[in-house]
Amino acid sequence: MTRRWLFILALLIALLSYPTQWYPMPLRLKLTEWFGAAGFRQLPASLPAEAAEPEIFCPPDPQGWRNSQMIENVDIIASTPCVADNPYTVAAFVRGSNNVSQATLHKSGLAADAVEKGRDLDGDGDPDEIHIRLEVAELNGGSSVVPGPVTQYEIAPGIRPGLWVFAPKLVGMAVENFESNQARRSLRLPSPAIRIEQGDKVRITLENTHYMPHTLHLHGADHGFTDVSGEGNDGVPITSEMPVMPGAARSYELSPRHAGTMFYHCHVQPHVHVMMGLQGLFIVEENRPDNWLQTMNIGAGLVRAPSRALREQYDREYDLHYLDLDKELSERIQDQNDPRLITRSMHREYDITDSAPDYFTLNGRSFPYTFRESLLVGEDEERIRLRVVNGGAKGIALHTHGHKFTATHRDGVALPENTHAPQDVIWLATSQRVDLALELSNDGLHAYGPGIWPFHDHQYNGVTSDGIGPGGNISAIVYAQYLDEAGWPQTRGVPFDQYFTQAFYRKEIPVWESYAPGLFSDTGFDWLMLLRVLGLALAGGVIAALAVSALFRRGQGRS
Amino acid sequence: MKPGSLLVAGLIFLLPLAGFGQSGVDHSKHGVDHSKHGGHQMSLDPGGMVMNQNHDTLPRDCNEISRDYDFTIHAGRDYASEVPGMIYGMSQHEVRVQPCSRITVTFVNEDSVRHQWMVHGLPAYLYPAGMFHIEASGGHRKTGTFIVPGDDRSYLIHCDMAQHMEKGMRGQLVVGNGSGDLWGVAGISDEFYRFSYLPVHAALLAALVLVFAFLATFWLTRKR
Repeated sequence: MTRRWLFILALLIALLSYPTQWYPMPLRLKLTEWFGAAGFRQLPASLPAEAAEPEIFCPPDPQGWRNSQMIENVDIIASTPCVADNPYTVAAFVRGSNNVSQATLHKSGLAADAVEKGRDLDGDGDPDEIHIRLEVAELNGGSSVVPGPVTQYEIAPGIRPGLWVFAPKLVGMAVENFESNQARRSLRLPSPAIRIEQGDKVRITLENTHYMPHTLHLHGADHGFTDVSGEGNDGVPITSEMPVMPGAARSYELSPRHAGTMFYHCHVQPHVHVMMGLQGLFIVEENRPDNWLQTMNIGAGLVRAPSRALREQYDREYDLHYLDLDKELSERIQDQNDPRLITRSMHREYDITDSAPDYFTLNGRSFPYTFRESLLVGEDEERIRLRVVNGGAKGIALHTHGHKFTATHRDGVALPENTHAPQDVIWLATSQRVDLALELSNDGLHAYGPGIWPFHDHQYNGVTSDGIGPGGNISAIVYAQYLDEAGWPQTRGVPFDQYFTQAFYRKEIPVWESYAPGLFSDTGFDWLMLLRVLGLALAGGVIAALAVSALFRRGQGRS
Repeated sequence: MKPGSLLVAGLIFLLPLAGFGQSGVDHSKHGVDHSKHGGHQMSLDPGGMVMNQNHDTLPRDCNEISRDYDFTIHAGRDYASEVPGMIYGMSQHEVRVQPCSRITVTFVNEDSVRHQWMVHGLPAYLYPAGMFHIEASGGHRKTGTFIVPGDDRSYLIHCDMAQHMEKGMRGQLVVGNGSGDLWGVAGISDEFYRFSYLPVHAALLAALVLVFAFLATFWLTRKR
């Protein structure tokens, strides 16, 4: 008897709880015909957004690294955005780490043999014997003893994909200071842009400080298949030589006859190693007298000691390195510590044919960090050269606001003059390079006048970070008068506070919350609806139990 | 010592400590240089450097040098060849000394890349940032001396090249009775985040065992 009453009660609860908006359409229409619409019930209120304290947009520059300065008789031009390269490192790269004072070498953080410059072979006033040493560093890798990634490097607030980079040979620890687990400034994405002069006798020694085999392949740069001693020199394990094992070193040689913007990368399991960040710009500058080159440009970006050839035609030069990252790949070095497991995970379990990139970087950072260090700053009427490489897996439709640039070179080869035409979108295939001339002359074609003009990939995944925008490789052409003292662009649009929070890129903050609070916020709950659903669940449970128990009793009765 | 406090002590020493992004080695034309940089005392030459060396200043809790030790520690890939899952290693991952002793370490780098032998957690009044650091370029050896304090404590030794500690170059300096083993020292202690290393079908096997246990128990209890 109790069971019957219980069943009736449960059925009643189910009927009363059943949400009216779930009724079948004919029933709803019939009810409306009889009784009209249901009464007004206010929609749930907007939820207040999470209060997240933004990071400092523009970190201070206590040592005055941004200023123009003369170090070791090297004229280092100002780098006006917030974060600038260490000028002592720039000076050591120009003079050679073997030719600078102890004090400069100390401040550069480089090993004494990081970039050795020797004799002037053609007697034109600059060194032609160049010996570069590269190490390999893992950023945001895993650990068996500490939680979270080690040797940390953020591409944007809270985003730390596992990375491998070539780095100049340094001295000291991999982390920045006593308390932090932050990678030191010279250990970063992208691998440094390398500059040598046409005809230089260049030796590059790869000191493999990593835990996997690697090589160096000089993509597009004139080099022999073998070196002088007959050793393989192309960096390709399947055709030219054995890879460099962990703890070992190997030298590559070249004396390029042709100048142009080239590329270098590891060629061991390239679909994994190149996409982890083992790639950099490799620039062969035209031979000029007294041409002391900045052999490496850490983090790419502004060249603070530009070449003679550049100064003949342009006012300044920027190296732009685009790279996309697949988090399904990069997180594999964070999941475990055993190199055997990492190798299996990255080289056998990871399937690049099923992959899609998630992060899109320009010079190793995504928006908003690009605004700290990868702005293209120029003055009215200046001519700027951009050396651009797309190191990513996907193509890039590079677009500039307010300007049309002209492609002068592709893959390190000059384009015929009669093909030079201003354009505002250029397609870069994977590993392709272009040299672009950007003219800040307000003629309505090349430029529309001073301002803060974004430039970005016009393929829309490229302007997001894991699908959250604005992110990805967005940066801006900024006329000097639009930068404040500290180097931050005086934007006139939405506040940047939420972009400088980790919560925004964790997808926790409504995108327009900063200027339309409440209007497009997350919604609160409909408590009545929740009550109805719980009522249905309660009734459903009771009815199901009664049904099972009835079946069980019937079975017992038979036996 | 309780396991809990061991864990805490271990974790404290696991924290990545100390850094000096701004430093450099000398090159041949300068010879040996002894200088102060960023608060650190450095001794530099082309083969590497020694930082915060201390031959004769006693820690506050020591009245005299209790004993002199001389260790030669080799480093490189060869010293990890017998240790599964490791890439780099040292000829000895543990150094045991008496309190207030003076230790001279000759660090021999047998690889062709840089390696470091660093001790962390030393008294900061004597060793800037609490560390003593030897760095040897590929194929070089460097010698340095320091004096340990008087209390029983275990200090972290490691190479701070990115991932070198994780891939084997991690050790401990045990002064007196020490303060418990640090985690993850090759040949001494286990990894704190240890992978499970189960065979591929372990889950299926476990499920079969569970079903077997259920059926067996059901059958046995019913029979009774």
